[in-house]
Amino acid sequence: MIPSDPEVLDALAAEHVLGTLDAREAGEVARALPTNPALRDAVAAWERRLAPLADLAPPEPPPPGLWGRIEDSLAARPEAPVVPLRPSRFWQAWAGGSTAIAAGLAAFLLLRPAEEPRMMTVLLTSSDQPAWLVEAEGGGLRLASLNPRPVEQGRAQQLWALPPGATAPISLGLIPANGQVSVAPGRVRPEPGMLIEITLEPPGGSPTGRPTGPILFIGRLAPARGS
Amino acid sequence: MPDTQPAADAALLIRGIALGEAGALRRLYDAQAGRLFGIALAILRDRDAAADALHDAVLKIAARAGQFEPTRGEATAWLAAIIRNASLDLARARGREILSDDPALGDSPVPAEALERLAAAQQSSRLRDCLATLEARNREGILLAFVHGLSHAQIAARLEMPLGTVKAWIRRGLMRLKGCLA
Repeated sequence: MIPSDPEVLDALAAEHVLGTLDAREAGEVARALPTNPALRDAVAAWERRLAPLADLAPPEPPPPGLWGRIEDSLAARPEAPVVPLRPSRFWQAWAGGSTAIAAGLAAFLLLRPAEEPRMMTVLLTSSDQPAWLVEAEGGGLRLASLNPRPVEQGRAQQLWALPPGATAPISLGLIPANGQVSVAPGRVRPEPGMLIEITLEPPGGSPTGRPTGPILFIGRLAPARGS
Repeated sequence: MPDTQPAADAALLIRGIALGEAGALRRLYDAQAGRLFGIALAILRDRDAAADALHDAVLKIAARAGQFEPTRGEATAWLAAIIRNASLDLARARGREILSDDPALGDSPVPAEALERLAAAQQSSRLRDCLATLEARNREGILLAFVHGLSHAQIAARLEMPLGTVKAWIRRGLMRLKGCLA
């Protein structure tokens, strides 16, 4: 039984995160989490509070063969739980978030001669809503807002690209208020698999040169269909 | 802020996994496996069992990457919660047979100096300051549970205190921490 009294529920969440519940109690909490938002919030809050303690355990290299075993298990799964962002999904997402701007851009993209391999992506929100169209163009990138929405007051949106294999994203600058962004060739070389994301940052952009705020929108550059 | 960098990189890779980006899981593994294996090893104190826990945790990460919400907490904390839960599940399945006088725990499993390592990030230094306000045995009980996966009974045996007292102390200690961090 998961208690409804907030104080008792919070104590249960605390002990769950601390790890002192026995197998039966821990199982009850784990089963209740998906359907009990109050419990989920309490557990998340305790995980945030105690998280720094996890790093008191000294890091230790795992056995060298472990990754191979993980790969075998991944391949043996009945179905892949993730849906790759493919062009087909791109068009679905597009249809879902269709606006006059999107329709106009679609016509433009479809009618444009394919003189170079075209790459594009739609940046999705955390709830998978299409938010930005990104297109590689002339060695640079062009962004158009599909569903313009106001930025949180006193914050800025910053654009980043992470080339495949790179360990650190490259800042492509702040998103201007009009939502129109062009990234000149040379700042980044668009390639398939490149992650494009927009994070929420302090005014003027990330002070560290790396993303510091939550990811608002993200997508992966892929060859457009037909190219 | 040295701690924000691995968290930001991990967040990016988790979103990449959710989007099906080839190689994102491997890169996250390469970046985080040592840290996560260390967390599992501290709880299980058995390399084979810790490897099992990391195996299970990586499969969970792959399956749940789409549920990660950067606004709810740092990616490194999300990953730590997954490996801790996988490790604790294994420890429970093994009946937490690890004895509280296990020599691998050492005389003082979480030495006081270890808390110094918490100082790097602002959130950590606040937690360290709040832990410092607790009685020493109360603090040690919380660390034995969180870092080493000891049950109430094992903590009671190790601290040579009655089980009921340990349970009440730990609960009170957690609530004092919450008040201090608020």
